[in-house]
Parts: sequence; C-alpha cells; structure tokens
Amino acid sequence: MITRRLNLYVILIVILTLCSINLADSADLKYKRSVVSYSMPDVVLVNQDGAKVRFKDLMRSNKPVVVDFIFGTCTTICPVLSAGFANIQNRIGADTGKVRLVSISIDPENDTPKVMREYLKRYRAKPGWDFFTGSRRDIDSVMRAFDAYVPNKMSHYPLTLIRSPVDGKWVRIFGLMGSSEFLIEFQKVGMK
Amino acid sequence: MSGWNRRYQFITAALLCASFFQLYARLPSACAESIKPPVSPQEIIRLGERLYRDGILPSGEPLMALVKGDLPVSGTAFSCVSCHLRSGFGSVEGGVFTPPTNGTMLYQPFRLLFKGLEQKYFPYPDRRPAYTDASLAEALRRGDNPAGGHLNDVMPRYQLEDGDMAILIPYLKSLSAQYSPGVSTTTLRFATVITDEVSPEDREAMLAPIEQYMNIKNSQAQAYRKPMGGKSRQMAENMLVSKELATRTLTLSRWVLKGPQRTWAGQLREYYRKEPVFALLGGITYGDWSVVHQFSEENRIPCLLPQTDVPVLSATDWYTLYPSKGFYQEGEAAARYLGIRDDVSPDRIVQIVRDSREGRALAAGFDQTWEDLGHRAVLTMKLSSGQRITSDFIRQLSVIGKPAAVLLWDGPETLPALDLLSTPSATPELAFISARYLGKSLQSMSERSRLFTYITYPFSFAQTVIRTSMGSTTVEDDSKWRVSLANSPFNNSATGISSVTKSLTQLLTMALMDMRGNYYRDNFFDVISMVPDQPSSAYARLSFGPGQRYASKGCYIVQLSPGTEPDLIRKSPWVIH
Repeated sequence: MITRRLNLYVILIVILTLCSINLADSADLKYKRSVVSYSMPDVVLVNQDGAKVRFKDLMRSNKPVVVDFIFGTCTTICPVLSAGFANIQNRIGADTGKVRLVSISIDPENDTPKVMREYLKRYRAKPGWDFFTGSRRDIDSVMRAFDAYVPNKMSHYPLTLIRSPVDGKWVRIFGLMGSSEFLIEFQKVGMK
Repeated sequence: MSGWNRRYQFITAALLCASFFQLYARLPSACAESIKPPVSPQEIIRLGERLYRDGILPSGEPLMALVKGDLPVSGTAFSCVSCHLRSGFGSVEGGVFTPPTNGTMLYQPFRLLFKGLEQKYFPYPDRRPAYTDASLAEALRRGDNPAGGHLNDVMPRYQLEDGDMAILIPYLKSLSAQYSPGVSTTTLRFATVITDEVSPEDREAMLAPIEQYMNIKNSQAQAYRKPMGGKSRQMAENMLVSKELATRTLTLSRWVLKGPQRTWAGQLREYYRKEPVFALLGGITYGDWSVVHQFSEENRIPCLLPQTDVPVLSATDWYTLYPSKGFYQEGEAAARYLGIRDDVSPDRIVQIVRDSREGRALAAGFDQTWEDLGHRAVLTMKLSSGQRITSDFIRQLSVIGKPAAVLLWDGPETLPALDLLSTPSATPELAFISARYLGKSLQSMSERSRLFTYITYPFSFAQTVIRTSMGSTTVEDDSKWRVSLANSPFNNSATGISSVTKSLTQLLTMALMDMRGNYYRDNFFDVISMVPDQPSSAYARLSFGPGQRYASKGCYIVQLSPGTEPDLIRKSPWVIH
C-alpha cells in the first residue's frame, strides 16, 4: 500500500517536473503575439465540399475560431501549420466541432474543392476543420482584413489568428507554434 | 579452501549462465540478421526514395516525427521532400530557409558565401563541418548539428531505427550526386520537339524567342570570355544570370518527329542517343503530346511548356510542365459555370461529342469536373467521324424533356447545328461551344444563335496588369469585360504561341539563376515550382508550385455581341468557383 502511494508520488513529481519544463519553455515564446480587433469582409467563399459559405457568418461564432492562410502545394510552413491544426483536433477530445478551424487558400486558382478535400484527408482532418477557396478578389479582401495580404503566395509568412468567443478579439500569432504552445493560446481565449 | 572452491564454482557457474543468457539473448537478432534477405543497392535506393518522398518506412509504416518540439507529424502528411524538394537542394519559403540535404552537400563543410560567391581572401568561418554517417543520424533524430548547435525546430526530429537510417543515408548520398546528362564544363544542352505537320510560321513563332534568348546569353558570355585578364571573368560572373554560365554555352537542337505517331518514340530515342540533353524546352504539335510525355517520364527529362491543346492529364506524372490543360480545361470551365447557375436543372443537360481528340478531351474535362461537383453524369450522345447533326438528331435530345443546356463539342460543324437548335421548340436556355475547336469560323455564328450560345474561351482578354513593388511582381486579373474578337490572341495563333515562348524564356532566366550551377534535372523543376506567378498575354496568369503541372488555370465563358465585327462579352471570372 505504502509502495503504491510512493509510486504515485514519484509519478506526480515527474509530471510536475515535466509541466514546469513545458511552462518554462512557453515563457520563452518563439513567436510574436498580439491582440487585435478586425472587421470581416462580406464575401462568399467555397469550402472543400463545394458549399458556398458567407465568410462573415462563419467568423461570427460562439466557439473559438482559428484562421490560417495556406495552399495545397506549399512546401514548408503550411505543412507545419496544418500539423498544428490536426494535432489540436486530436488534443481537444471527441467533440472536434467545439473549435472552428478555418484554413484559407492563398492559391485559389489551383486549390479547387477537390484539391482541398485531398489536402484535408492527408492531415486526417476531422469535422470542425474546413478549407476555403474563392475568387482572387475575395481572398485578397480576407487577407487584407487580417492585415495578412501578400501579393504572391510564395512570399507568405506563418500566421495563426485565434478569435475569442468571449470578446470577439483576435490573438494574432506570427511564427510557428508547438503543440503545447497552441494549447496554451487556446486556454487564454477561454477554451476549456 | 573448500568454501573458496565452492565460491569459485558458483562464480564460474554464474558466469557460464550469464554468457549463455547473453548468447541466448543475442541469438534471435543474430539469426534474424542472418535470415534477412540481402537488400540490393537498387532496393536500398528504391526504399530510400519512398522514405524521402512518401514518408513510408521500409516496414511500410508511416515515418513519425516531432516538429516544433512537441508537434507530432506523420509521413503521410509531410516528409523530407516537402521542404528539401526532389533534388534535395532545399527551398526558401515563408521566411524558412531549408538547406540542401543531398549527400554531396552534407558531406562537406557548409560554407557561407558572399552574394553567392566564395571568398578567396578572409572567407567566413564554416557554418558547420562535414557530416559523418553518425553525426547525420544524430541530426535526423535529435536535431544536433556537428557544429555543436541545434537545427531549427521546423526541421522534424525523426523517429528512425538503425535499419531505416541504413536506407535513408545511402539514398541521400545518391541524391543529386552527379550532373544530369547534357551538362558539361563547357555546354548546357537543350532540345525542342516539333512534329512535322506544324506550319513554318508556327514553328518560327515558337522557336524564335528561345533562339534569340540563347544568342543573347551566349554572346554575353563569349564577350566576357575574351582574354582580357581576371577582371573580365569577374565581370562575367557578376553580369550573367549565373556565374556558372560564364564558361558554358547554351545549345538548342530541333528534334523534328516525322511520319506516323507510332514511330515517334523510336525517333526520340535515337535523337537522345546521339545527343543527350539536359531538358526539353517548348516544343509544338497540332496533335497530342503523349509520346513525348512518356519519353520525358521514362528518361526523367524535364519538358518545359510544350504547346499542345491535348496534353496528358495526370496528377502524379512529374516531367512535363504544360502551359494549360488545353481542351480539357475548357470542358472543366463549362462544368464549373453550369455548377454556379442555380437556374439550370442538372437533370436536363445533354452533351453532344464529336469522336475526335478535341471532342473527347472537352467531354472528359466536363464529365470529371461535373462529377467532382457532386452531380450525376449527363446524357451524352456521340457523333462519329463525318456524321452530320440533322433535325432528327436534334429531336432525339428531347428524350430528357426540353434540354436546359446543350454542350456541343464539335468543330465548325457546330454552327449549322446551333441554327437547328434555335427553333422556338428546341432552343435550350444555354448551349456551350469551344472557341478553340471552332477556330475562326466563330465569327460567322448567326445572330439568333448568339443569344443562347456560351463559348469557352481559354485566353486572356487584355494584357494583364503587372504591379511591381520592392522587387515583387503582382499579376492582376483582367478588368475588361468586353474585347473585340478581331483583337484577341486567339485570332492569330502565332501571337499566342510566341507569347507562351516568351514566358518560357522568363522562366528559364529565373531557373538558371536559382539553380546556382546545380544542374540536376529535378532541381530545374524544383526551382521553377518556387517561381512567383507570371503574366502571360495569351493565358493571363501562369502559376506554379511543387507538383503543379498546368500553369494556366483559367478559362472564360463568353458570349458574342451582335454585328459583323462582334465583341466577346465576358460572363464569368477567369477561374470559376
């Protein structure tokens, strides 16, 4: 009995130590973080199933919303951003729909619903994560609304935007996050 | 004494037991190794390529890794090739620099260059020493680099067993290990493939811009090569698109394919045997490109922007980058346009398809896209070669009720058929035809037919606006909604052809610059995949990306205005969503 309790203490100490390491790491952020207000453009985008969605309505949600800008044939940063989305879906439990993950194509001419479906499949995306394309003009206006406009897909940069359902403000994260860092940012916007 | 003996016996027995257990413990793995089938060097490279490109371990399981410290990723999502690309020369994207990972570069110190040039005097210290097999394995598993630091945490830390490492490392050593054929210290050889039926005007339109380009580049290099002392060489290295071209001449051979198509593969093999080239530039045919496409795939020879209206359509083939999907792309646009027209019933669409290369390609583009949009296949009626569209044929269309839309994939024969359709009882809400398939006869379409006929038009309306700011070029979409048919690039085939070749020479400049003398065929297409969108007066916008093999993605849907000199009136955006 005493041995078992001792074991539990040892395990607890190990967990606490690991947690403290994680927290120490997260204190030393490798990404830039700011809190900003944005107003959304009234445009209609098309998702991976070919369904038309009014972007403004999509963003006005009582769930946390996460937005990133990617494209289907991107080499370096989109795979890491998308691995982050896939991982957050795995970590939030069975109800993946309680967080809305939104990837917006910055190569709308190539990213057709079919290309986007295949992309999501590669990352084993679950319900709650949608990929959107649209006319170049509409995509540009979405990029501009988030102060994320790039004239060319090859000159893009890693950006994740998290909307708090509490006050509707956006956490703007410039840089790539690890799994725990992403989760901590989620907790900060009120995600339990 | 007897106690000592007993102790001695005990120790001996213990040692024997221990060695037995040690032997026993080793036995399975030793046996396993001895019964493992020997892996041939070719098999190692095949498995290594699968690991590098598809992220699949020799066991068949996906490669697993951690990125950004604690973010798990599977090889099915991304693998080495995602960032280091096929050639292994890496990429610069989204502010992340991915260094080369081919053996030649890994197994030598990483030198810092100044403006791409090595410093003879006071060189910078090496960024890292040469890797060894052991230090490379450490870097792949734990991200420790041999200079004592850590690799950027965007580089995944891979879970690789010794056996996997024994597959991956030889593959990296074999990757871009020696220059591709067609490259020597004095020349960089290219060829262009022309099929014999192409008119002299169209050949000239395709060839002239490439030949002019090569003459300029070669005469620049030649001027610098004159013995004027060390300064001229330095000047050449700084002024040319790449310092490696100061000593190399670009050559372009014409590979003309004659006679029946079944003999073309043999002709290509013979041309290649006589003169191995680094890549195929441009090229032109009035027919399909499948034989040359296959030749490029089999020999891993890149072919850049061949001009054909019937390219091979494949999501996985690698070695041909086409200007567009040709006729297929027009069929695709018709399906997408119908997809956004809520007023057209999907069950009342008929497709009439001439049994020709063009007709089949248009129908294939429509059918595939229509299915991808989630619709059932439409009723398709075939027209055999020479068969005319009669009133009886038109009456058969009503088996599905009065058609809402009729797609007429035929050549100039389409115009009388449209007239038959324009009787009040038969007129559909929309009819679709292909501008390219009809050719110049388009302008003689009757006024009545113009009212309900929509035309797939895969060309730009106007010179695309380009905005340059701080070195980056922005290609803007056409803002024109109306253009005179007489002024369209489609009306003069030579103008359209030479416009594509001009885009090719722009791409070639960028590729020669970005390859930095690493003349490996996979690197040629790797660097092109990183090129920003390019304007094209014929195809509006050409865009690229790893694995993207059809540069122009759009096609307008237009109508003809009334009058003897009609305008084209745009009914859709360049890319329809």
